[in-house]
Amino acid sequence: MSREFDDERLPLSRTRPVADDVRRELEFHLEQRIAELMERGLTRERATAEARASFGDAAAVEAECRAIERRRRASVRRADRLGTLWQDIVVGFRVLRKNPGFTFTAIVTLALGTGAVAAMFSIVNGVLLRPLPYAEPERLVTIEERHDNGAGSVTWANFLDLEARSRSFAAMTSYGAWTATVIGTAQPLRVRTGAVSAGFFKVFPVRPVLGRLPVPEEHRLGSSPVAVVSHEFWRDYLGSPRSLENVRLKLSWDVQVVGVLPPGFDFPDRTQIWWPMELMEQSLSRTSHNWDAVGRLRSGISPDAAARELDQILAGLGPQYEPDFDATGAVVTGLQTAQTGSMQQPLLLLLAASAVFLLAACSNLASGILARGTARLGELTVRSALGATRTRLARQLLTESALLAVSGAVAGLLLAGGLLRVLTPLAPAEVRMDRVGIDGWVAGFAVGIAFVATLLFGLFPALRLSSASTVTALREAAVGMASRRRMRVWNLLVAAEVALAVALLSGSVLLIKSFGRVMESDLGFQPEGAVALAVDLPSVNYPGRSSRISAFHLAALERITALPGVVAAGFVNRPPLHGNGPTGSMVVEGKPFDPSGRFTGYSIYRVTGGDYFRAMGMPVLKGRGFGPGDDVSAPKVAVVDQAFADREWPGQDPLGKRVKPAGMDSNSEDDSEPWFTVVGVVPSVRSSGMTDQMRPTYYFDHRQRPPYRTAAVTYAVRTSSAPEDLFAPLRRVIREVDPEVPVVLQTMPQLVSRTVADRRFTMLVLGTFGGLALLLAIVGIYGVVSYSVAQRTREIGVRRALGATPGRVSRLVLGSTLAAVVPGLVLGALLTLANSRALGALLYGVSPFDLPTLTIAVGALGAAALVASLVPAWRAVRVDPLIAMRSE
Amino acid sequence: MTDKQLRLLKGTFDVLILKTLSWGPAHGYAISRWLRECSGDELIIEEGALYPALRRLEERDWIEAEWKLSESGREARVYRLTRAGHRALDREVTAWRRYITVFTRVLEARPGGALS
Repeated sequence: MSREFDDERLPLSRTRPVADDVRRELEFHLEQRIAELMERGLTRERATAEARASFGDAAAVEAECRAIERRRRASVRRADRLGTLWQDIVVGFRVLRKNPGFTFTAIVTLALGTGAVAAMFSIVNGVLLRPLPYAEPERLVTIEERHDNGAGSVTWANFLDLEARSRSFAAMTSYGAWTATVIGTAQPLRVRTGAVSAGFFKVFPVRPVLGRLPVPEEHRLGSSPVAVVSHEFWRDYLGSPRSLENVRLKLSWDVQVVGVLPPGFDFPDRTQIWWPMELMEQSLSRTSHNWDAVGRLRSGISPDAAARELDQILAGLGPQYEPDFDATGAVVTGLQTAQTGSMQQPLLLLLAASAVFLLAACSNLASGILARGTARLGELTVRSALGATRTRLARQLLTESALLAVSGAVAGLLLAGGLLRVLTPLAPAEVRMDRVGIDGWVAGFAVGIAFVATLLFGLFPALRLSSASTVTALREAAVGMASRRRMRVWNLLVAAEVALAVALLSGSVLLIKSFGRVMESDLGFQPEGAVALAVDLPSVNYPGRSSRISAFHLAALERITALPGVVAAGFVNRPPLHGNGPTGSMVVEGKPFDPSGRFTGYSIYRVTGGDYFRAMGMPVLKGRGFGPGDDVSAPKVAVVDQAFADREWPGQDPLGKRVKPAGMDSNSEDDSEPWFTVVGVVPSVRSSGMTDQMRPTYYFDHRQRPPYRTAAVTYAVRTSSAPEDLFAPLRRVIREVDPEVPVVLQTMPQLVSRTVADRRFTMLVLGTFGGLALLLAIVGIYGVVSYSVAQRTREIGVRRALGATPGRVSRLVLGSTLAAVVPGLVLGALLTLANSRALGALLYGVSPFDLPTLTIAVGALGAAALVASLVPAWRAVRVDPLIAMRSE
Repeated sequence: MTDKQLRLLKGTFDVLILKTLSWGPAHGYAISRWLRECSGDELIIEEGALYPALRRLEERDWIEAEWKLSESGREARVYRLTRAGHRALDREVTAWRRYITVFTRVLEARPGGALS
């Protein structure tokens, strides 16, 4: 048989339609067969019939062949497309590598944008969005008592009534959490412990991984003390024993550890050890607000409905117990909201700011890619003339953008990881950074951003380029002419970027100003030059009613005061800015205890020791402070603050007036409580926070109050040298008094600044966004202006040749910059004003409509724009007309 | 067609086509004629069945096709064995040879102890 074929390929042979392809092949077969049979001498008719017969069902064969061929071609096309994509990617990489400057700027810009958003999103996701790690967290609520001075802790007696009478809750618990000294592990530890009431493990139905939970009989006064510990405590400090039989710890009592909770459970607030609070003798006063409370709502009950029910119960209790009753109702808040509390708004604001920042980054990149795309117009038009289709070119450009976007996203995720690590120590306590991480959600979010960014800044220039007709494009590329339309697009991008930067910048300036106001706010004491030393006497060795507590303090004070450089030393049961509690009511001599049927003496209760006022830098305004003579056997004396004096004795001399605490340190109203004579007035200090009002406060000396009130105190030590130099000596003297007492040392300014961690966090993060946005704007404006100057070299040359002065030329360049920047500035100012409501809630002492701030932001951006266009303008002035006009 | 003609076993057809193409490129009609001549008309092959078989082999990338001018000056769809096709042919031929040997051995064996 013959196999020689003409080697000439038929043109377009591969694009023959399927039906045609199949039909021709089969026809060819039949013709050949007929010809062969005819050669053997058959007539045409016979030959045709014979050929058809031996072929079989031609129609079926044809159909089958078509089906197979269609399938085959489809799969070939798919493979082709993949091949082209790969090719695009390879080419894209090559192009990006050839322009390292552009690529680097683009990736860094994008990484900053996505990194900022991904970091903020992780925080928001971890803190606000992801449900709390407890069973059915949406049913968990905090319960607070409301009274005339706000809302807060509950009293034990009221809590018991609410728990017994309420039908809205499946369970309710009151608790208190504090850092305590624990003995029984390898060394004395400072551990977060929680005293919890019987309902706690019904509100949080955890199943111990080892041992058991306390049984109801153990939630009773006088029962044998037990405790459960966290999985982490069991593992890290107890050495993971399989049996808890011999595991005993010394807290307030010698407790038997009976159970280990599952890993990760640490409510409330990182607690490691839980024990029944019923072991403690409780004040039954209904104005002693000592405990926090949480509840688990019955399913289907809303927090509002529950609050209404509690309101009713409390309203019913009031008449029974007045005047020892100050609750006007209850506040029920979702636990997640309550825990994130004040950080919710700042976090959402920061997330929005990071999104705005990303937008600014994208518009920066878009103008960069557009400029570069125009520079590549020549190359692209040549390729187009050589037969590359427009879609092919657009796809190439899109692939390049996608490569940038993906690299940017990856770099952004890395950056976000770094940012989170930097932010962790700065984050306020409400932001549980241990629950924040870059997980699947965040990674998906970043990839999503990358995708959107690709469309945003890739598609746009791609469309512009691929719609430009080849001829115009070639001519433009040759002549170096920036089309009016393209300039308009640029101006738009620059304006948008400037506007976003103004908004971010003015927002951060406002926050910075507000932070400054907060820091300037009158604290009532002098933190500079003092050390804060927190001491918590382990209750095992210092029982609540033992004189050993005051003995410790007297010994410690004596040694501290003797240290070189120490000017004054004293202590207080709770330092300023660290919360209102404990609070209590005061009976004022000569005034009706309860004129309006409600307690009016509600004030902040402080017990001090040593020369506390001088150590804190609180000048005694009238009378005297406590002295060595005010001991347990001396006449009882009190010092009140200005706010207290103003409220109780307006216009009178408070000295010599007599007061007594009501039901504060006893289980019932104690008639044997003696009168305390007011001997001094001190300035008011801020108790719950820098921006809180000054609350009336009274002070006693620790020797004249029950010892347990000063089992946990903060010493203030004023020194004439650097506060840090005092750390080691202070540690040493406390060890000399009792080596089993752990101490926590910080300078007083540190103690103050930790209370503004949330503001500082918001300010720092937004400030960073603002600064970076300014930087981006400078880079963006510089890029666009210098590109437009390069494009107009020829025009500028002509103008120069026709006699334009350097001044005129630079005015031309600056003018075109301003044309883009000024609308941006105006837009940014409007944007800022529109945003002021969102920002207003976070500000203190500054109006969101702060004209100087807006001026600063607008001015900074305007100046940045001018600086960014100075270099290109200078370049334009130096254009040599001859060279410029020759440049093609 | 008579009773003496052999029915083609399933799966063997592809091997025959690949074998034919192993001599060089050929169009469908040439393959059909070669198979007819080689087998001495003893194999029953409906000529039409060749074409779906060719297309399937092409889909598997064992052969590739191209329209070329034939010796008669007409366009013909010419097939050529690919590298993958060569390998497939070697595999299939070996498998068939083994099959036939084993099959023959069983057919020709005489009953020994086991069956008596």
